[in-house]
Amino acid sequence: MNIKLVKRPPSGVELRLEGRLDTSSAPAAQEAFLKVAGEYAQIELNFTELAYVSSAGLRALLVLQKQVNKTGGSLVLTHVSPAIMEVFEMTGFSGILNIQP
Amino acid sequence: MKLKLLPKLMMSLTILGIVLTLSLAFFGYHNTKSYLEDMYEYRVTFGAKSIAAMLDLDDVRTILAPGGDQTEAYRRTSALLNQLKREGGISFLSLVSNDADSVTFYIDCNVPEMGDDPADEMPYGTDVLYTDAANGEEDLRKYYDIWECYANGQAVDPPAVTDNSYGYNYTVVAPILDENGRTIAAIQYILDMHDMREHLNSYLYSTLTIALVVVGLSVVAYIMFIRKTVTQPIGRLAEFAKNVTTAGQFNTQGIELKTGDEIEALGNSFNFMLLELDHYIHDLTTMTAEKERISAELDVATHIQSSMLPCIFPAFPERGEFDIYATMNPAKEVGGDFYDFFMVDERHLAIVMADVSGKGVPAALFMVIGKTLIKDHTQSGTDLGSVFSEVNDLLCESNSEGLFITAFEGVLDLMTGEFTFVNAGHEIPFIAKSGEPFAPYKIQAGFVLAGMEEMNYRCGSLNLAPGDKIFQYTDGVTEATDANEQLYGMERLEAVLNRNTGKKPEELLPLIKADIDAFVGEAPQFDDITMLCLEFKHYMRNRSSQPQAD
Repeated sequence: MNIKLVKRPPSGVELRLEGRLDTSSAPAAQEAFLKVAGEYAQIELNFTELAYVSSAGLRALLVLQKQVNKTGGSLVLTHVSPAIMEVFEMTGFSGILNIQP
Repeated sequence: MKLKLLPKLMMSLTILGIVLTLSLAFFGYHNTKSYLEDMYEYRVTFGAKSIAAMLDLDDVRTILAPGGDQTEAYRRTSALLNQLKREGGISFLSLVSNDADSVTFYIDCNVPEMGDDPADEMPYGTDVLYTDAANGEEDLRKYYDIWECYANGQAVDPPAVTDNSYGYNYTVVAPILDENGRTIAAIQYILDMHDMREHLNSYLYSTLTIALVVVGLSVVAYIMFIRKTVTQPIGRLAEFAKNVTTAGQFNTQGIELKTGDEIEALGNSFNFMLLELDHYIHDLTTMTAEKERISAELDVATHIQSSMLPCIFPAFPERGEFDIYATMNPAKEVGGDFYDFFMVDERHLAIVMADVSGKGVPAALFMVIGKTLIKDHTQSGTDLGSVFSEVNDLLCESNSEGLFITAFEGVLDLMTGEFTFVNAGHEIPFIAKSGEPFAPYKIQAGFVLAGMEEMNYRCGSLNLAPGDKIFQYTDGVTEATDANEQLYGMERLEAVLNRNTGKKPEELLPLIKADIDAFVGEAPQFDDITMLCLEFKHYMRNRSSQPQAD
């Protein structure tokens, strides 16, 4: 998968995720997430081009959310497709993630 | 080895030496021969012409006239020619006149001091036919050539070379011309080339002999040198390498070659290589042993993990109220799926279906913790919501790796048919009412276990009647993928369930697995495939055995 980074000054950033967030791409994505969380306070994950999230992907999102909670920043997910939304709802992630339409 | 390399070298050097010797000797021979022949040709031609030119014409005429041998001219000329013959080292010197078919001798020099036999002297006026003198056709033609030159007033040039009973001779006949340029007689000048030929032959033989001896000695000396400096050290190295490879012992003492050149460097490199090889083999052995140990331990872990799941069916042969069956088909390595079922007390049956995120040993260990905690906390009379809340908090404490578990637990009251359940982010179950098709049962999902502390889980409930079935599974079922990256999905699962509504749990699960296998085909299995089916058959009758009721 690909991650495109768009800065939202002064302290925000938008990450555009493309492809599949699965077992093979999750470790790299998690590393990228944590790096971004260390540099920016407001993070937006744009899911427009994201096709699939596996349990490994959920784990990467959970680690990011925890990190953001710890540093007192904010994490927003936008443009989540119905299929991925179903995964979030089924796993209860919809309860802990800030998902905006 | 050295017995093979050395003969090759000797053979090639010997051939080289022989070729060199022969070519040098024959080149020298031919060079000398042609130079000597040129010199002798010149000497014969020049000598004959000079003598012919120096004779007094009147004296010659007097000699040629009948009775010429009794004249003062004859005596004078004969003495001159004899002197010239002696001083010039001429083999045969004669004053002759040629005809078309014979040669007439007028003065034939004879010098006994030069070894001439006086009996050989041709008397004045002796006429010798060409056919008598010639030895064969080729010789005869030369005599006719000489006659032709004579008739034309020309000297024979280059000399006629004859090799016959008169010896190996160079012959020049130089005409004596009168005032009108006509030939009146000729000087026949013959030089025996036998000595020159002998000289040339001895030159060839001595050159060959000397060259062969020198080359032979050089080759022998060189071979000895090569043997000492190259083939013996290489032979030792080869022998050493052979011994090492035959024995398979690489940690032996290295080879010591003190040649001070590339061979010594080769030997040192070889020793270094042996040392490195020994280290590598040692490392590899250690690593392989380690790998085997880990692999064996993983096998044990997989075995322990799978044996933790209840796998003896029928699980409760004495309980006729329900029928339960479950299977897990692990993917390659130890994974994180698990199911569980157990009697909480006499009238309560608990079922658990869960999936740890991730794979391998961390997931397996986490699964063990999760399974143990859930079973441990599921106590008679405890609300399932608080069971998951407590388990969640405990799991969060021991979760440094950011793993989480999706889990579903349900407890069936066999006496009332009430089925209480809690869902932590897991797939929703399929429920089939007696005689009706399976349908997904919507449940509000709580957050996954171990994801975040202090989460609250809410318990739900529904009522089951005899004949009802619950089917629960993990995402390994719905996310089984075929070669075209198509997911198996809920629809296919629901369809296969409803084709087999009448089947007992232990018949149903293998049918579903077969359907998944048919769908997936040759594509590899990435995730564990875990399924559980519970059929409620009838209410518990023996209420008297219950210590308490909810």
